[in-house]
Amino acid sequence: MSTNTASSSAATAGSGDSSGARKNSKRPKYSKFTQQELPACKPILTPGWVISTFLIVSVIFIPLGVISLFASQDVVEIVDRYDNDCIPTPARTNKVAYIQGGGDKACNRTLRVTKRMKQPVYVYYQLENFYQNHRRYVKSRSDSQLRSPKYENQISACKPEDDVGGQPIVPCGLIAWSLFNDTYTLSRNNTRLAVNKKGIAWKSDKEHKFGNKVFPKNFQKGNLIGGATLDPNISLSEQEDLIVWMRTAALPTFRKLYGKIETDLEIGDTIDVLLQNNYNTYSFSGKKKLVLSTTSWLGGKNDFLGIAYLTVGGICFFLALAFTIMYLVKPRRLGDPSYLSWNRNPGGR
Amino acid sequence: MKQIIINLETQDIKALEKAGEKDEIEKASRESVVKQMEEGKALITGSSGSGSNEAFALIIDGKSLTYALEDDFKKKFLDLATGCASVICCRSSPKQKSLVTRLVKTGTGKTTLAIGDGANDVGMLQEADIGVGISGVEGMQAVMSSDIAIAQFRYLERLLLVHGHWCYSRISSMICYFFYKNITFGVTVFLYEAYTSFSAQPAYNDWFLSLFNVFFSSLPVIALGVFDQDVSARFCYKFPLLYQEGVQNLLFSWKRIIGWMLNGLMTALAIFFICKESLKHQLYNPNGKTAGREILGGTMYTCVVWVVNLQMALAISYFTWVQHIVIWGSVAFWYIFLMIYGAMAPSFSTDAYKVFIEALAPAPSYWLTTLFVMILALIPYFVFKSVQMRFFPGYHQMIQWIRYEGHSNDPEFVEMVRQRSIRPTTVGFTARRAASVRRSGRFHDQLNKNFIAF
Repeated sequence: MSTNTASSSAATAGSGDSSGARKNSKRPKYSKFTQQELPACKPILTPGWVISTFLIVSVIFIPLGVISLFASQDVVEIVDRYDNDCIPTPARTNKVAYIQGGGDKACNRTLRVTKRMKQPVYVYYQLENFYQNHRRYVKSRSDSQLRSPKYENQISACKPEDDVGGQPIVPCGLIAWSLFNDTYTLSRNNTRLAVNKKGIAWKSDKEHKFGNKVFPKNFQKGNLIGGATLDPNISLSEQEDLIVWMRTAALPTFRKLYGKIETDLEIGDTIDVLLQNNYNTYSFSGKKKLVLSTTSWLGGKNDFLGIAYLTVGGICFFLALAFTIMYLVKPRRLGDPSYLSWNRNPGGR
Repeated sequence: MKQIIINLETQDIKALEKAGEKDEIEKASRESVVKQMEEGKALITGSSGSGSNEAFALIIDGKSLTYALEDDFKKKFLDLATGCASVICCRSSPKQKSLVTRLVKTGTGKTTLAIGDGANDVGMLQEADIGVGISGVEGMQAVMSSDIAIAQFRYLERLLLVHGHWCYSRISSMICYFFYKNITFGVTVFLYEAYTSFSAQPAYNDWFLSLFNVFFSSLPVIALGVFDQDVSARFCYKFPLLYQEGVQNLLFSWKRIIGWMLNGLMTALAIFFICKESLKHQLYNPNGKTAGREILGGTMYTCVVWVVNLQMALAISYFTWVQHIVIWGSVAFWYIFLMIYGAMAPSFSTDAYKVFIEALAPAPSYWLTTLFVMILALIPYFVFKSVQMRFFPGYHQMIQWIRYEGHSNDPEFVEMVRQRSIRPTTVGFTARRAASVRRSGRFHDQLNKNFIAF
């Protein structure tokens, strides 16, 4: 009926093209999409859904928390802070002068292994209060220069460590200039412990970001020496310490991989570390620590994820119980309009 | 309904018109109109004073309208008209139509809707806040000057009750959600600044930052704003009171807006601190390599994309293939984008080069962290919604319960819901009266019967 009235009014409205061919309406073609009548799923949060969701979450989370915690507990970690102790007592009043002065900075540390550490045992250096994520610092590098010798002169982003005496520095920039230069020599029971320094950098960095035809040039030749020097005969893709250092850290307290020990360390072992305390963290009250750690499938010693999973799993379980009790104790007849806010205070909002 | 008629058809006016003195006619007509208006007003105040709640209708013709719309008497006319349940202005010119509309619009401050189909309605349609033109016998003039055009007058019901309600509900949800998602994203970046000594180093790669609002969270919002239906069209017709949600602005109150913003803030806090703590010592990978900035950024961003899209899935209650594709598709697209962007040359992708394939995907802690943050960030909203749905449902949520429980086909139940929900001062006069009669009268027994039955 409606179509007819529409069509007659359309016809008398004088639409030019109607004539005899279709005396039908101008009604648009029906489709589920345009009429917004697509088949739809309309879930609502019934008590069943709520309780079962919380139960499922707790059933998944609690075991995950337990295994994460076990994984973290399996990891053995030895942390040794040495920056203060490695300054000889007479120099402790002016540490900056000591570290900037010449002379031998060797220092001996002793680490005790309290639990068996299966190989590979990773050796890290940890720096604190060092903002490798500062914007000016992060920008101070030239990726194109690192990749290929023909971009040697693209140093504009590297100021102030861009050139020395008119010659470009390779690799330029503050990140490379501040390369960490403490070294560690480990021995156990008077025998050298080999620390494998190969394979510590990410493969993508070694193969694609640091070219194997690029060699260090004019490095640390300026007035201020910021860190380690680089052997000009080794190409950048082989300088793994530099590559590891140049992957800037996320937080002001960070660790970087120094090397791997590929033998097991037994309980009760004494590790003697002969370290060269070269790096100046004293001018900004930074801290230096040496870390030996094993890893598990989850990574290093970090109980956080395990505890967090357990906590949330527990909370969800408790919530499931709470909701069950709530629904049993106070069963409201659903869809009861007397609970509408308008009806609870009649005449007012 | 009692009628108040204002016209100039009395004997003396007619006599004066025959006599022909322009000024005299005007003066007398004006006085007559004002007198009739005052009488009508007295009638109304008298009736409401005695508490009988009677409905009045005002009928005024074009000639009288000229005098009633004069500046001195406009207010009186408006008072009289708003006190009546219906007002009929017959034989009015197009100019008068638009003047009446303007008077109501500015005088009451309410939103006005005008509907018309002829060229004489054009002024009125343009004056009103919403002009609805009907295309048909009288040509296309009205349609061309209107905001919305329909084909028949009866489609107005669908326009208001269905599309009006949907439009309001969609837009308010969309705006609240939009604030939420941007606050979630922005606050994570802001929180990271505290750890870079406020040097403005962003937590994420530049392209990630730019594309968040373009690729990974825009389509679900658009789907929400265009396709969402909190209640289907059938129920919008059955429960016209849903329209009142818009009139009383229940879905876009300050409480709701601030609530969503707080939700965004809490989500961002959860995402940032969980990701930061789980990557605290940067040993996150069994191969011993440490996590740099790009890994923290990649993990946080993944969490943001997941949480924001899952929140959308929780907030809407209407899933078609469109919603499924945009929500899950946005999440999937993030991973695809990571892989494609990571595969581009390092000169372009800088620190995101191979970050997913090499650093993130092989590390179980990445997946565990993402899963944990996803669930944790949504628990507060989930609890809130469950409690609200069950114990403090809004009107449209009650309709959803009714539909779910299958009571929608029970006419008595439906009628009861409608009648008990009518608020005394907002629905039209006659409906109110009828409702109060029915409420106090025969429906009482029905109500009791229904309560016992359930």
